[in-house]
Amino acid sequence: MNNTWGDMAQYDPVTWNWVIAVYLFMAGLSAGSILIGIGLRWYSKEKAIESAILKAAAIISPLAITLGLACLVFDLTKPFEFWLILVNYNFSSVMSIGVLALLLYSPIGIAYSLIVLRDELTKRKLDFLVPVAEALMPMRKAIEVVLFVLAIGVGAYTGFLISAMNAYPLLNTAVLPALFLVSGLSAGAAANAIGALLMFNTHSHDTNLSKMHGLELPVMLSEIMFLFMLFCALYFKGGAAAAALASLTTGVWASVFWVGVVGIGFAIPLLTMLMPSQTRHSKGVMIAVACCSLTGVLALRHFVIYAGQSYIS
Amino acid sequence: MSKRYVMVHDENRCIGCQACSVACRSENGVPEGVTRLQVRVEGPFGDAPHLHFKYNRVSCQQCENAPCVTVCPTGAAYVGDDGLVSIKEDKCVGCMYCVAACPYKVRFINPETKAADKCNFCKDTRLARGELPACVTVCPTDALTFGDANDPSSEVAKLINTKATYQEKTHLGTKPRVYRIPTKRGGIQS
Ligand code: SF4
Ligand code: SF4
Ligand code: SF4
Repeated sequence: MNNTWGDMAQYDPVTWNWVIAVYLFMAGLSAGSILIGIGLRWYSKEKAIESAILKAAAIISPLAITLGLACLVFDLTKPFEFWLILVNYNFSSVMSIGVLALLLYSPIGIAYSLIVLRDELTKRKLDFLVPVAEALMPMRKAIEVVLFVLAIGVGAYTGFLISAMNAYPLLNTAVLPALFLVSGLSAGAAANAIGALLMFNTHSHDTNLSKMHGLELPVMLSEIMFLFMLFCALYFKGGAAAAALASLTTGVWASVFWVGVVGIGFAIPLLTMLMPSQTRHSKGVMIAVACCSLTGVLALRHFVIYAGQSYIS
Repeated sequence: MSKRYVMVHDENRCIGCQACSVACRSENGVPEGVTRLQVRVEGPFGDAPHLHFKYNRVSCQQCENAPCVTVCPTGAAYVGDDGLVSIKEDKCVGCMYCVAACPYKVRFINPETKAADKCNFCKDTRLARGELPACVTVCPTDALTFGDANDPSSEVAKLINTKATYQEKTHLGTKPRVYRIPTKRGGIQS
């Protein structure tokens, strides 16, 4: 039967789609990758040589945020007027605060990458950038600290961005920023491992790589804990919030959650930890596990965006 | 005292004829495929022979505490001096944050301007000329009443003070300015 009141297409509750999910993933990946890179550097005694992990982070982090921002801009209905968002600010809007953070984070991230990759620049015929890297060198410590703080902001901000919408009980929770930050860290670690192994031919028994490996379990456990907290909060809130728990049992997004997030993202990496250390530390297995973690994080962003918007209070 | 424009939709009088929707479209030049206003006919409720329908007006609620305004990064979604929530087309980048954040799902992207759009109580058109909104004027059963609730002698103030009304999703703290008079045959006692 036709309704008398017309087309319902504009009332689809899912406004933000996969492009935004990819952006959230890229921003988390960029922040997580550089946080791990810098964190490991501070933690290691040998600061004179740039570790393969940090070099990988220096490539992955700016690349990921650039691709993420490209997604964001082309998802606007007026992509060629994106500058409007750079000149008008509304400080009650999380997006505005995020734009400001990204405006600092992106160039500082590129500056830091030039410092880290200064030796690679000559090798890859980018000599003209060497003087820039040399000039930035004395400010390394300051740049590093500022970038670290901004990266925490960028990693958490994507969570704040969608948790600010109080109409959606699955999104409107305080743990979302924390969940996004830790899952960004796990994506960052995975991408750094792939980068270090493939681009910089690191040995799979490299000390920094093992240190990063050691972070994986605690990061994954906190991710699981935050997810658990998220669903508990919904359960105890009751009403429309509890109804959103149906996202775990019905529809395609439930499959994405159980197969993508839990199965590929958590179970496979956890199970490989049971393998004998010889196999577990082979290059092939490490790359495969890292790819699983990345897939899991990407699936989590999609689940949150789609399932989150499907349940409205 | 500043104005507080509100709209009252009497669901007893409404017959779901959609005349308001059509009038809105022509008055505000709303393009094909999108709409500022729908009156959804829901039901039937109750047992035969006492069946009844619910006429649910779906349009911007002109929230006093509007989430669309809070989230808009550019300030394109704003509250005017008259208290009405409107959109500055040329400041909107089309990020759709407001569309996602509106709990009533009544914002949409206008396919012609590419900016967010919605009901603004005919602020630019009829209200600007000192007339009542198009939907109010055209309603054949006088189901709609519009006016300044801060003026105690206004028709809307009298209605809100004498009739039992409800607003949608008040638990979200948005303070909607569309009041509804529930149908007497419905489950809500008035
Ligand atoms: S109903 Fe939606 S569009 Fe209208 S003022 Fe409230 S939040 Fe904004
Ligand atoms: S779509 Fe336009 S009005 Fe809505 S939040 Fe974005 S910039 Fe503001
Ligand atoms: S008040 Fe004006 S813009 Fe709003 S629904 Fe009625 S006719 Fe349309």
